[in-house]
Amino acid sequence: MRGTDLKPRIERFNAAERVAHWMVAICFLYSAFSGLSLWSHRFYWMAAVLGGGETVRAWHPIGGAMFAAALGVLFVKWARQMVLDRDDLAWLAVGHRYAMHEEEGVPESGRFNAGQKVLFWVQTAGALMLLVSGVVLWFPQAMPRALRLAAVFVHPLAAVVSLGAIIVHIYMSTLVVPGALRAMTKGWVRPGWAKAHHGKWYREVAGK
Amino acid sequence: MKQTVAKLIDTTLCIGCKACEVACQEWNDQEFSQGVFHNSYQTMPDLAAHFWNLIKFHEVEKPAGPVWLMAKYQCMHCADAGCLRACPAPGAIIQRENGIIDFVEENCIGCGYCITGCPFDVPRLSPRTNKVYKCSLCSDRVAVGLSPACIKACPTSCLTFGSRADLKFLAEKRAEELRAEGFSAAGVYDGPGVGGTNVLYVLKYADEPELYGLPKDPKIPWTVRLWKGPLKWVGNTIFFGGILAAIVHYLKVGPKEAHEDD
Ligand code: HEM
Ligand code: SF4
Repeated sequence: MRGTDLKPRIERFNAAERVAHWMVAICFLYSAFSGLSLWSHRFYWMAAVLGGGETVRAWHPIGGAMFAAALGVLFVKWARQMVLDRDDLAWLAVGHRYAMHEEEGVPESGRFNAGQKVLFWVQTAGALMLLVSGVVLWFPQAMPRALRLAAVFVHPLAAVVSLGAIIVHIYMSTLVVPGALRAMTKGWVRPGWAKAHHGKWYREVAGK
Repeated sequence: MKQTVAKLIDTTLCIGCKACEVACQEWNDQEFSQGVFHNSYQTMPDLAAHFWNLIKFHEVEKPAGPVWLMAKYQCMHCADAGCLRACPAPGAIIQRENGIIDFVEENCIGCGYCITGCPFDVPRLSPRTNKVYKCSLCSDRVAVGLSPACIKACPTSCLTFGSRADLKFLAEKRAEELRAEGFSAAGVYDGPGVGGTNVLYVLKYADEPELYGLPKDPKIPWTVRLWKGPLKWVGNTIFFGGILAAIVHYLKVGPKEAHEDD
């Protein structure tokens, strides 16, 4: 498996976590693009790419429901680790320094840093809102008018919030933190990476 | 610009004969809709995907005794149409130059947003085709200079078709007549809250349009306005602003280079 790479590795995400994460990602991206095709007439060409408006109408809610289910799996795996502690609150207070790569005054993070934890809770709340309002939009004839009137606003609102958060997440994990993407594809990181980005977690797993 | 066409319904002259219903079904070649008996003279309890024009029979108690308020119920062809604002599929709902709001079956994706956007609860989704349908004001007839089928069929002069300006004038005159006859609340119902409807009603009790099954002050629902207005701006700012911010950050600050090994 390791071929000629003999440098040390630390397992960061096990196979089950990685599968769940990418299920969430694929379903989310499909839901996002199919949903956005209906967001504005200017985006309607996305519906053509995805098989036409009627196809989008039929499959977006199914993709959405699969997204919610997959996120449910991640939730069960991660929710306890995502609770914010004192250090996390201090981290959030100096989040701007973290963004500028300054290290002084930024508390060390555990397995997930405070930004990742916030993302997790934003996505969880967003998914709940999307699911509840999405089901209302899915079966309009079965729903009372007041619920539909709320859903047409809440659903795209929640979509905007979770898309805003996901832009940051994708940017951070692919471009800002080299090695983060590999942690989610191959599952491992280098000790130096762990020490630099998740110091508390590094000491836990390295037993130091 | 073409002039806006309209339909005037003088409810005081409706005798509930339902000729307009039959004419509508015939001209639009509608499939059979199963009626339901619900202890009323109405053909159907409600509009349906293939039943666009319903005479509603409202029995109302007034001090002078019970009255029957017959009201034709169909698409109102609003100047500011909630269905059109809500629809995500380009070309599924169009507003013609003459003011007619038309549904175009081929472009409809069956999402049902228009049903939620409509202040008059008019569009109906067909479970068979999964598309929505409603009165077209016989846009195909109007386009060649004919009047809508319902108008042709009406045996009293309850229904009139013409330019909106003319009909508004006629309607106001008729309301005045009614007030002179002692119906002090008589008036014209034409939905100013939706920019004016192209279906006008003369009502004896214009202060209580609910008696006729008409909403008191029809407006595009505020959640629909927020959704299609400010939320679009906020959302687009977040999408494009977010991507732009990421690019700027990457160019100015760049990645957090990994430190030691690797
Ligand atoms: C959680 C389960 C979800 C369900 C059941 C659901 C259901 C729906 C339904 C029924 C519609 C109406 C049109 C259609 O059927 O395609 C819709 C629209 C939409 N959905 Fe979802 N959806 C879900 C998740 C998502 C997700 C994850 C996103 C992306 C972040 C999303 C974004 C959108 C957007 C942007 C629209 C169009 C809103 C507009 O017209 O302004 N949805 N959704
Ligand atoms: S059901 Fe059809 S006409 Fe109505 S809003 Fe959706 S696409 Fe437009």
